[in-house]
Amino acid sequence: MNDMSAIPEQNLNIMPSDTPARTVPPKTTPAKIPESLVRVGLQLLMVVVVLGLWELGVRLGWISAFLFGSPVGIAQYAGKSIMDGSLPYDTWVTVFEATLGFVIGTVVGSLLGLSLWYSPFIARTVEPIVVAFNSVPKIAFAPIIILWFGTGLTSKVALAISLTAIVALIAAYQAAKDADPDLQGLMVTLGANKHQIFYNVIVPSSLPAIVATFRINVGFGLVGAVVGEFISSQRGLGHLIFTASSLYDLNTVWVGLFTLMAVGFVLYFVIDWVERRLIPWKVMDHRQELRV
Amino acid sequence: MSAPPPKLSLQGIHKSFVAKGSALPVLNGVDISVAQGGFLSVIGPSGCGKTTVFNIIAGLLEPDAGTIHVDGEAVTNLRGRVGYMMQKDLLFPWRTVLENVLLGMELKKIPAAEARETAREYLNTYGLAGFENAYPRTLSGGMRQRVALIRTLISNPDILLLDEPFSALDYQTRLYLEGVLIEAVDTFKKTVILVTHDIDEAVALSRHVTVLSGRPTKVKANYAIDIQERTPIGARSDPRFHEYFHSLCAELDIQTRRKAA
Repeated sequence: MNDMSAIPEQNLNIMPSDTPARTVPPKTTPAKIPESLVRVGLQLLMVVVVLGLWELGVRLGWISAFLFGSPVGIAQYAGKSIMDGSLPYDTWVTVFEATLGFVIGTVVGSLLGLSLWYSPFIARTVEPIVVAFNSVPKIAFAPIIILWFGTGLTSKVALAISLTAIVALIAAYQAAKDADPDLQGLMVTLGANKHQIFYNVIVPSSLPAIVATFRINVGFGLVGAVVGEFISSQRGLGHLIFTASSLYDLNTVWVGLFTLMAVGFVLYFVIDWVERRLIPWKVMDHRQELRV
Repeated sequence: MSAPPPKLSLQGIHKSFVAKGSALPVLNGVDISVAQGGFLSVIGPSGCGKTTVFNIIAGLLEPDAGTIHVDGEAVTNLRGRVGYMMQKDLLFPWRTVLENVLLGMELKKIPAAEARETAREYLNTYGLAGFENAYPRTLSGGMRQRVALIRTLISNPDILLLDEPFSALDYQTRLYLEGVLIEAVDTFKKTVILVTHDIDEAVALSRHVTVLSGRPTKVKANYAIDIQERTPIGARSDPRFHEYFHSLCAELDIQTRRKAA
């Protein structure tokens, strides 16, 4: 009980340690090849092996070039369509439709979801309607959307919006509801009004959840654009794939698919960049991952 | 000559919560009073409604009945007059240290340049120079609580309301921050209310202690702590410290001495 009085006088100057909790950068051993280089090498090797076996199988007659295409055929068509400008143009059309739909759907959906925080009454009223709408596979709306918006750009964008908006709305609303009540209380005692709490607490604390939907929604944006093009279109990667597969032109189909893959890949890194800009305080956490 | 009115006085505060359809009385006529520049601790058994008292003083809850006076003047709530600190540092993770400290002044629309100047002075005073642009996540618990203390002081509230602000910290850091708090309170002549279950901290820091009973809660006892030494360790070394400590433990029915002697 009496432990405090036992502390000698010279120890009374107690200071907490001021060293911030930073992680030490991993030590690099100069003799070894960096892990990342080995990883990229292995990844390339896997791709080369698969393509090589594929081409070999076609040459030896084990794989039907008619039903599966061949890597060399794919490369030839890719080269030709890049040179005549048709592949870049189709890619541009699809990327444009998907990105526009993704941006509009995500922004509008997130803003609506966040603003539901203002009125729990309205939120509870519309919640079952939103849930009901969300439980329909949105792709089933595609034929009507084509009927309403025609066969051009608008219908693809509308489809991408319908796929992305609800996801963003639900995530944003949930995140806004989950915002720390103690931070809101602190704002109240500092004399903040509802708009100031919304702007200073609700929006930033919901941002990580909203940014997380970007990753899902970028994919949905592409789904909307490609499915729209499948149903009715004159241009785009979906159009390319659909018409080529109805002609059993498998090499062209593969070019369309690989291009979509590349587009998705690039968009993933664009989202990564956006994430670092929007939530720098969160992105830092990745470096502190626990290694087990 | 009449004595000046207390800085803050709560009288006959009642508060019930509705749980499973029936009203659950939590506060049943609580009186709390603290003089200008005073340091009052409110302690009580767990579940006695300390948090409810905290929320009423913070202006986050309205009492069902009872009056609140500030400087002798009746008020409906204390919003904008009270600065509070909790066990959680409540720093905004998306704001840097400097931006966190600036929060109150932003809300008061104080010009940015002036606010930044003031914030930097405070950060220097409390040994946080060089961490202006760090996110709270990268700081130690003690540093985060210091930032929270600066944020509370810089918005210059009449009354500081503390809810076990240091109980999540290690003992050394805690003693250090208690010292910082006492010094700041004396420098800025603040009135402080500390809501806590920590008897040790209550005795070491405060001038007065109000003991609450179990639910439905009333005030059980008021103690004046007559320890001149104001440093956290000095106060704990005072011979009277343990007297107060044991009396307060007895008030809360905590057994501190062996029965058989």
